Amino acid sequence: MNIRDTISRLQDFYILCFRAPLGVFGRPFYIRETIEHMDYMGTGSLFIVFLVSLFIGMALSLQISAELSALGLKMYTGRIVGLSIIREIGPVAIALSFAGRVGSGITSEIGSMILGHQVDIMRVHGVNPLKKLVTPRVISAVLMLPVLTIIGDAVSLLGGYYISVFVSHQSGSYYWSQIRDIMNFKNIFSGVIKPFLFGYLISCISCYMGLSARGGAQGLRKATTSAVVMSTIMIIISDFMLTRVLLLVLGERV
Amino acid sequence: MIELRDVTLAYGDHVVLDRVSFKAEFHERVAILGSSGEGKTTILRLILGLLRPDSGKILIDGQDITEHSESQLRDFRMNFSIVFQEGALFDSMNVRENVAFCMREYTNYSEDEIEKRVRSLLNRLGIEDAIYLMPEELSGGMQRRVAIARSLAGCEPKMMLYDEPTSGLDPLTADNICKLIKELSKGDPPGRAGFIIVTHKVTDASKVAERFMYLRNGNIIFDGDINALKNTSDTELRSFISELYAA
Repeated sequence: MNIRDTISRLQDFYILCFRAPLGVFGRPFYIRETIEHMDYMGTGSLFIVFLVSLFIGMALSLQISAELSALGLKMYTGRIVGLSIIREIGPVAIALSFAGRVGSGITSEIGSMILGHQVDIMRVHGVNPLKKLVTPRVISAVLMLPVLTIIGDAVSLLGGYYISVFVSHQSGSYYWSQIRDIMNFKNIFSGVIKPFLFGYLISCISCYMGLSARGGAQGLRKATTSAVVMSTIMIIISDFMLTRVLLLVLGERV
Repeated sequence: MIELRDVTLAYGDHVVLDRVSFKAEFHERVAILGSSGEGKTTILRLILGLLRPDSGKILIDGQDITEHSESQLRDFRMNFSIVFQEGALFDSMNVRENVAFCMREYTNYSEDEIEKRVRSLLNRLGIEDAIYLMPEELSGGMQRRVAIARSLAGCEPKMMLYDEPTSGLDPLTADNICKLIKELSKGDPPGRAGFIIVTHKVTDASKVAERFMYLRNGNIIFDGDINALKNTSDTELRSFISELYAA
């Protein structure tokens, strides 16, 4: 791929990112499609989110309590687990799972529609594929990922509680009192704002990769892989950048 | 009227169409013949504005559409309807939803009205019983019929575009599809809705079309009626249409 192609693809991607959310402001409104995608992305991802979150919470609690007990500070396990989960690990881990499950699904679905000329049929019949295919998916991802993250955080904290109480033999009420202590605006805001951005990035990248799929089954495989890889990289990079900005905005010193 | 004027298009280094020019009236029955990969489907996609040529002009009713935006092209596309190879049905929708696609997008018909219109169209094409089947449950011939029904629902195209409508079908089903294509373009010109059919099946093309073009190496090397086609002196073209002599 030459520089001209790269610039042209980047331009197409930015246009998609810009226009996709604007699709909600004009007719036709694809409400039924949006609800279907919300169900697929939200309800359909609950099991994987539950499983991933539970084990992350347990592993984190196990590791932290082991380290802290060597220093005689294991009563702070709940505080550290809670902060890590709510502000950082929860949003990122759920977003990565979401990219793997939903992002790859979006790319393969739209990609196969491209290869099967279904998107061409839409264009011929005057239907805007961006509005019909991309906008409902972006809106659904932006709305559902924060919900999944909140559920995932709660499950992780429960996993951490289980390890703290039944493995590390700490007080359960003290664990929850520390969790309550860290439940302030700054921490909750930092943890909840990230999934909105991650959902937007994952859905835009996946839709773009699907729409640019070419070259049969092999092209579709390439597009799906690229969507997951690009989403993963963008989640990690944007997490760092957003964390930096949030610390600055919320007036927290590093 | 459709006019392609010196249209050139390349995919990377591979030149698919090299200064191709032709004119066709909306009521004409045109067949574009050629081997696979010669750019037949590309011509249909160019006419619909789904692709932009590298150079040259595409005029629809005298207006050059090559520089038109997607929203401007929507009006021009209303002149046409297309049936892609394999049907290109929406695989997440059943037959009813596929055929009702345009009605749902553009009309305020009630569910009862949509049902009535879909059934009427499917009945006309002889596949009413398949109304609640999914595309993967349909045979190749039925898929093409549903695609034709969808292309007719909710719009009155001036010209139909068929991309290899009989490829992969057994001779009997292919013959039925040809009859259907001809049936749909019945009537007298200029009011008649004509079609452009691109195919490598010469016999099927000869059953429906009245004008034939042959595409080779990115150029139209033949343009004429069935008699001129049969009497061509081009040896490669004679070999390509050999089944016509046998018939």
